[in-house]
Amino acid sequence: MNGKSFSFVFAAVLAILCALVVLSLPPSADAIPAFSRRYGTSCTTCHSDFPKLNDFGKAFKDAGFKFPKDDESFLKTPPVLLGAPAQAELWPHTVYPGSIPGLLPIGLRYNTYFQQVSANRNNFNLALPAGTVGNFIPKSDFEPGYFSIFTAGNFGTGISWWVDDDISVAGANVNGALGDGYLKFNDLSRFLKLPKDSLNLRAGQFELDLPFSQARTWNLSGWDIFSQANIGVQNGLAPAQNVNNGLALEDAANGVEFSGGHAYQGYHYSVAVFDQNTTGVFSNPPNVAPQNAIAYSSDSNFKDLYGRFVYRFNLEKDPASRNEVQAAGTTGPRDHTYLALGTFYFYGRTVQPFSGVLSDGVTPTVLTAREPFYRIGGDVNFNYRTFNVFGVYVAAHDHNLLPVTASGAAGITGFTPSAAATFSGGFAEADYLALPWAMTIMRWDQVKSTADRVNFIEYDPSAPPPSSFFSPYSATRNRFTPGEQFLIHANIKASIEYQIRPQQIVYNPATGLPLTGPFRTNALIVGLEFVY
Amino acid sequence: MKKIALVTIFMTALATVAFAGTIHGKVSGVSGESVVYVEGVAGKTFPAPTQHITVDQKGLMFVPHITAVAQGTTVEFLNSDSVAHNVFWPSISGNKKLGHNLGTWPQGQRKSFKFDDPGIVPLLCNVHPEMSGYVIVSPTPYFAVTDKSGDFKIDNVPDGAYTVTAWHEGAKNKSNPVKVAGDTTADFTLSK
Ligand SMILES: [Cu+2]
Repeated sequence: MNGKSFSFVFAAVLAILCALVVLSLPPSADAIPAFSRRYGTSCTTCHSDFPKLNDFGKAFKDAGFKFPKDDESFLKTPPVLLGAPAQAELWPHTVYPGSIPGLLPIGLRYNTYFQQVSANRNNFNLALPAGTVGNFIPKSDFEPGYFSIFTAGNFGTGISWWVDDDISVAGANVNGALGDGYLKFNDLSRFLKLPKDSLNLRAGQFELDLPFSQARTWNLSGWDIFSQANIGVQNGLAPAQNVNNGLALEDAANGVEFSGGHAYQGYHYSVAVFDQNTTGVFSNPPNVAPQNAIAYSSDSNFKDLYGRFVYRFNLEKDPASRNEVQAAGTTGPRDHTYLALGTFYFYGRTVQPFSGVLSDGVTPTVLTAREPFYRIGGDVNFNYRTFNVFGVYVAAHDHNLLPVTASGAAGITGFTPSAAATFSGGFAEADYLALPWAMTIMRWDQVKSTADRVNFIEYDPSAPPPSSFFSPYSATRNRFTPGEQFLIHANIKASIEYQIRPQQIVYNPATGLPLTGPFRTNALIVGLEFVY
Repeated sequence: MKKIALVTIFMTALATVAFAGTIHGKVSGVSGESVVYVEGVAGKTFPAPTQHITVDQKGLMFVPHITAVAQGTTVEFLNSDSVAHNVFWPSISGNKKLGHNLGTWPQGQRKSFKFDDPGIVPLLCNVHPEMSGYVIVSPTPYFAVTDKSGDFKIDNVPDGAYTVTAWHEGAKNKSNPVKVAGDTTADFTLSK
């Protein structure tokens, strides 16, 4: 058997499995029953279709996981004081008084899946030499999902926290990972005599302030554009690129973030400075041990920057209602009719060290390619009563430095700028809450990446691109995902989505010629989840 | 003349004492507050009470949880919370035609409703589905909310034969015939 084609098929199978897992398992974190217990109220106070926040939930989050006004009057269990409030008068001769929740603020979540994949799911076996036993994707499958713990709340004096962690993923305890873990100083603006809530600071690990949270999405599968990395053409076909940027917008950031404004009305901004890590490698050198021997989470000296600005126009006719957290309807408060327009910008600079030689052509040295990159995007979000339609567009651009070897040199001697590695795309989604417990969803995801397509033609198994998509048929990958979600109770949800996945194709690994016409490996995903 | 007047006053006072009784007793089989009321008497109407009763919304709860009023009473629903609430009832004693939605109003303000139909009014809020309260509209002015141990006393019930009903949240109503003559005892045992 041809070793090259075997490893190609192995890598292809891996890629398909990755695609299935990535597409079917949503990112972690969720609604927070800890708050439900603390305030003695239902999930629906803050969520329309958990974890999707309603306007009140957005205001609660903005206030530092507190009721926007008179928080104490809603607490069903009094906080434990870590100092009498009057101790504040003695400061700095005493520890500043704060509090912790009277009940351990813990929420748990579990979900489980069933999926059914269309008939052409095993098409990649066509690339195998006759008689080779291939890998197998079952027609239907029951799978365990996430078991997650999350804890969040407020320590008094405007300091809030959030920590969530997946204790087990897909049945394996070892796969669990920290989602967000941060401390947030809310309304620092009050010390600077700035408008209320115009300045907050959070520090720790957090999801970037994306227009729509991927970590806390209510969909069964995440939005493709937020998980798209930028890997240039690396299989020898033109245009060759040296960009190898594994970062995706959904990745957790470690750093600090300044933010202000409100999500339920008016402006909101954030500016974050955080570790650059585009390789996914955490260094842990023996000589200069990092703090408590925890690996360094940066792979470069550069700190990435992310900024976001959004303005939300509440469109109620009644001006008094427009400025309230919720609009006053004739039969009760409800989400506003609103239009929000936003933009975001990410700037980073990848570092790729290479072994090379000095200009003499012989003396070994390390040459470093520093490739600045950016992601820029815009978003729109419109809500009318129980109908919500929104979308995001992202354009990505990585400066591309190709290694060059001077004539006669024993290794690369430098870099030369070449065609930038780019991708673009986004999504549009419409959510219709037909009943308070039933939401109909229609989604369209699109990612355009020429490199992702080219990388699978005459694919080099020795250097597989880490794309989760297997042999895209065209540079433009469209996915349509209709879905329906049912709240069985306020904390139990059944979700169904049918993923009409991007067109794929199987190439002959030896010739690079297609072995199939374009096909889609569509999948039906059913999820059951509960939080408590 | 003076003597006659005095006698008249005396006789009148005696008559009042003789013909107005009390019903007291205990509601058992359930725990917490219940409501006991005298059912309507055919051909007898009562003037609508002029005093308004307040039901508050405080800390995401209806306060008090159970309110008993006489038919025709105006209840003022106050919102003491800094969050928006809504007050509605899907039905009165299961009659969906009597369902009503009062809408939403800001903190510190009230909205009134005159309960002209007797029955059990389950108060709900469509923003906070856990919120629960009851207004029990008694067809007569003879009603009482029991204490936590179930004891109650209804004053000033004219002597006569009545049907008396006991209500408790989540339990089956029980109606018993009660013959009131002076100080009368009526006990109820409810079950879920
Ligand atoms: Cu309410």
